[in-house]
Amino acid sequence: MPEQSQVQPVQNPLTLLMKAKSPQDYTALRQIVEHVQSLPPEQNPIVAALDKIANVHFARFVFLDPDRLAVITTYDGGFDSYINEFINELGAVFDGLLAHVQDAPPVPVQTYRKEFLDYVRANDLRCVGPFYSAYPTYTVLDVLAATAVSH
Amino acid sequence: MDAVELADVQGLILRSYTMPVARHVGLVVRDAGAARGFLAALAGGDPAVPAVTTAQAWTAKPDSCVNLGITFPGLAALQVPAQVLASFPTEYAQGAAARAAFVGDTGASAPEHWLAWLVDPGPHLLLSMFAQSPEALESTATRLAQAWSPGLAELGRHDGNWLPGDVAHFGYRDGFSQPTIADVPLAGLPDQLPPAPVGEFLLGHPSQHVGFTYPVPGPPQLGTNGSFAAFRVLAQDVDAFAEFLAEQSARTGMSEELIAAKLCGRWRNGVPLVLAPDTDTPDPPIPAEAFNDFDYVGDHGDERGYRCPLGSHIRRMHPRGQRVAGGGGYLHRIVRRGIPYGPPYDPGHPRDGQDRGLLGLFIGVSLRDQFEFLMDTWGNDGTFAAGLGRTRDPLLGAQPDGAGSFSIPRPEGPVVLGGLARFVTTRGGAYCFLPSITALRYLSSHCGTTTRSRAPG
Repeated sequence: MPEQSQVQPVQNPLTLLMKAKSPQDYTALRQIVEHVQSLPPEQNPIVAALDKIANVHFARFVFLDPDRLAVITTYDGGFDSYINEFINELGAVFDGLLAHVQDAPPVPVQTYRKEFLDYVRANDLRCVGPFYSAYPTYTVLDVLAATAVSH
Repeated sequence: MDAVELADVQGLILRSYTMPVARHVGLVVRDAGAARGFLAALAGGDPAVPAVTTAQAWTAKPDSCVNLGITFPGLAALQVPAQVLASFPTEYAQGAAARAAFVGDTGASAPEHWLAWLVDPGPHLLLSMFAQSPEALESTATRLAQAWSPGLAELGRHDGNWLPGDVAHFGYRDGFSQPTIADVPLAGLPDQLPPAPVGEFLLGHPSQHVGFTYPVPGPPQLGTNGSFAAFRVLAQDVDAFAEFLAEQSARTGMSEELIAAKLCGRWRNGVPLVLAPDTDTPDPPIPAEAFNDFDYVGDHGDERGYRCPLGSHIRRMHPRGQRVAGGGGYLHRIVRRGIPYGPPYDPGHPRDGQDRGLLGLFIGVSLRDQFEFLMDTWGNDGTFAAGLGRTRDPLLGAQPDGAGSFSIPRPEGPVVLGGLARFVTTRGGAYCFLPSITALRYLSSHCGTTTRSRAPG
């Protein structure tokens, strides 16, 4: 048996870089993200969406100076597999962000699904491999079941 | 309200015919103009030719029904313009053989082993007939053959028929789980889920996804009210299945019937394990109309799968309200139209060498998001649900050479069945567009530059 850490992980990295159209748009992106993230968890639409789609282990927004926003997550499976569910739950959030982003796909994202998927593919840096996971065979749902965390 | 024009929609998409014999015929276009004439006849343009059966309500049940699928090479052979062809979804354009590995059709199920008529180049049209009797089937087939023969040639065919006891070859009664569809009274049994929007099964209507209607290929008269189907010829290894049940029963002490029920999620008579985990004849009895009226959460909550294993066939193919990765346990529904083929299996005479299995049409507005998703994400992987790991569907999964496993959860710890073989082998397939009646007329009159030109190949 290989070490757990040598198994091809079921998890994958997303490192989505979104470039602001202008300094004013960068400010607007900051305001949107900081407002949403300042909401209590039960009112934060991103938390509700990620709870529901249940295949994202970790997610964070990082502002990279001087003009880029990074969305960094670790998720289970292929990004394509659950793209419809992702857009169903998070499309509206991305609509707000993409209004301020250079070379953004058409919105609403929920209508232009293929274009959004193409945009994410083109702007996802993933990682310099290998992608390390301490528990490469466990999905979000496995972890939640094992730790009996209920939502 | 988004009214569905039932008379414009092919009947098999929205209703079950419940007919005991069927025939699927693969046709290839030899003369595009004449073939388009056949489509006009199928659209009701010729009283001598049985027309395509629509979803309109029946005043009396007909003796036979006819439906038509067109493959992507078929649209090209009918001389559909290139820019219209380019508007069809990628997976449909690539076709079943090219997508085989993605849906687990590998090894013995790979296209190089398929029935000759379903590969290279495969059929242009798939004509499906369903009938109340063998005589009615032959009569319909004869009249259709007379009508298609000027423009089309038969590549091959496969007949299906109900088996004694109304079961499929592995011994299960089948067909209870069909989607309920909003505003379509003829669709499935009650199932405790929100009805599927009609756009999950018909192009040109709002889909099951928020704010999204699947792109309608071609001009509206071609795409609207159409759908897609994966046609599959699935051989069933009843010997291997029976031996597996016997071996695992001897090893675990569980009855063969209980193991069969755990693999499927239903007892062989169709009673769902969630409603009756200990017996297939509960008291009071469960009427057949209620065989789909359950969920894995809520009143009969079975989140850990102690009644119905999380990895069982019906729970994988339709997790309903259960928590799954993506959260879309009822966003990938398909309509299933299946009928057995081949002689009944006689346990007294095993290893009879007979080919037997199921002829299936798996229907939805998106082959990628419905049929292929089910096979790839839920059927041949387990990471969508807690604890399934990389396991596969116990009945139809592409098991790794007799090395599959299946876990039966119990409060005191799971029973794991090892040595799971591949019981179902794909013998062929075709990805079909199911055109509306309007589309048949469009294809018959708006395509082609000459009326009698010969299709290439």
